[in-house]
Amino acid sequence: MSNNIIGLINYGISGNIHSIKKAIEKAGGTVKILNNKEELNNVDKIVIPGVGSFKDAMSELEKDELIEPLKQAIQSKPTLGICLGMQILSTLGFEYGKTQGLDAIKAEVKPMLVDAKVPHVGFNTIDIVESNPLLNGLENEDFYFMHSYEVVNYTEIASLTDYAGHKFVSSVQKDHIYGVQFHPEKSREAGIKLFKNFIEL
Amino acid sequence: MRTRIIVKLDVKSPYVVKPVHFEGLRKIGLPVDLAKKYYEQGADEVMYIDIVASLYRREILFDEIEKTANELFIPFGVGGGVKTIEDFSKLFHSGADKVAINTYSVQENPQIINQAAEIFGNQAVIVNIEAKKWNTHYECYTDCGRIQSGTDVVEWAKEIELRGAGEIFLQCVDTDGRRRGFDIELAKKVVNSVNIPVVVASGAGSLKDIKKLIEYAKPSGVAIASLLHYDKYTVKDIKEYLRNNEIKVSK
Repeated sequence: MSNNIIGLINYGISGNIHSIKKAIEKAGGTVKILNNKEELNNVDKIVIPGVGSFKDAMSELEKDELIEPLKQAIQSKPTLGICLGMQILSTLGFEYGKTQGLDAIKAEVKPMLVDAKVPHVGFNTIDIVESNPLLNGLENEDFYFMHSYEVVNYTEIASLTDYAGHKFVSSVQKDHIYGVQFHPEKSREAGIKLFKNFIEL
Repeated sequence: MRTRIIVKLDVKSPYVVKPVHFEGLRKIGLPVDLAKKYYEQGADEVMYIDIVASLYRREILFDEIEKTANELFIPFGVGGGVKTIEDFSKLFHSGADKVAINTYSVQENPQIINQAAEIFGNQAVIVNIEAKKWNTHYECYTDCGRIQSGTDVVEWAKEIELRGAGEIFLQCVDTDGRRRGFDIELAKKVVNSVNIPVVVASGAGSLKDIKKLIEYAKPSGVAIASLLHYDKYTVKDIKEYLRNNEIKVSK
């Protein structure tokens, strides 16, 4: 598939882009790291990584003048947000104050309130609520989570995950827009399989 | 809750070494080879600690770290000699998912924990504690268990949580490398005094030691080094044993 280039958004100092690039390549994909808005035109799919805070991520995107171009690109290109990258697909975030997100998924991002240690760190399973091509064949797999905030929404939920009796949204889907709270790039072969599914979309 | 099984690599470049009481080093192998080996055995995470970077005021070896990260598709924590926000940033760009800080934060500038947490997110900032037991309390040590800090371990654990650390990596100067069991009282004290995950290292000598620690102190993770380095068991053996004893672990 020659016209299947995956663009990985590189924003600011808070990116885990190298491990994601490595995992997509292991899954057989071609990755182009995107440093500016012009380059968005040269890719077929988009992956939004993210390590850091909601506020920091949005201000980095703003600094690079990426918010509007990215919002537009997401509307036509298959997109996968990972961890914080999924969170910023939401309307609004509440980490270090209130911040507008990319508004691709009608949701808010709030601190996890749970009777257990936070951040939620470690391997956990996903209960698929609404099956989709991205999660195809991954029903019983373990994925790695590392987060203190969760996406709160009532539509577009693809899977839930149970942490100490608290169910939170572990993945979302709206048409060709996907978000996963876990880190496929840190989830062994199951994660590589997820990237294969994304490549084949 | 699944207890994480984490492999600890103590590195004195270019080798992974195994100190006894943080001293008397034995060479085990190269970090890149061992990381790969334990990944294939089913480790949930790898924690790479440059044990002499702070002590000898040496530069962090970013190339070595990147090479090791390239073999892993599981979380990779890195510590040793971290002093600046730039160090954090460079380590994340070298493939680290979390960065551990000890010496500089407890001896010089605890504020760096707040700064790092705000920039990189709480979950990416680990504080490494090297505890030593005294009659009435535990004290934080630094520079690979050599230098006293005068700081109480439990007080420090609470403080770093408030400052935004996302995890505590708890080592014990007295039990590290001896393979005679963990200091389970220390582990329980720290686990119960904070609401962030605590990973407990130092002391696994048998499968039973690991089970005892998990049942008594309920840490989020257990870090293992010697037991694996000497090929006594594989990560798979450890997980199977825990599963058979009704302790939840990942696949």
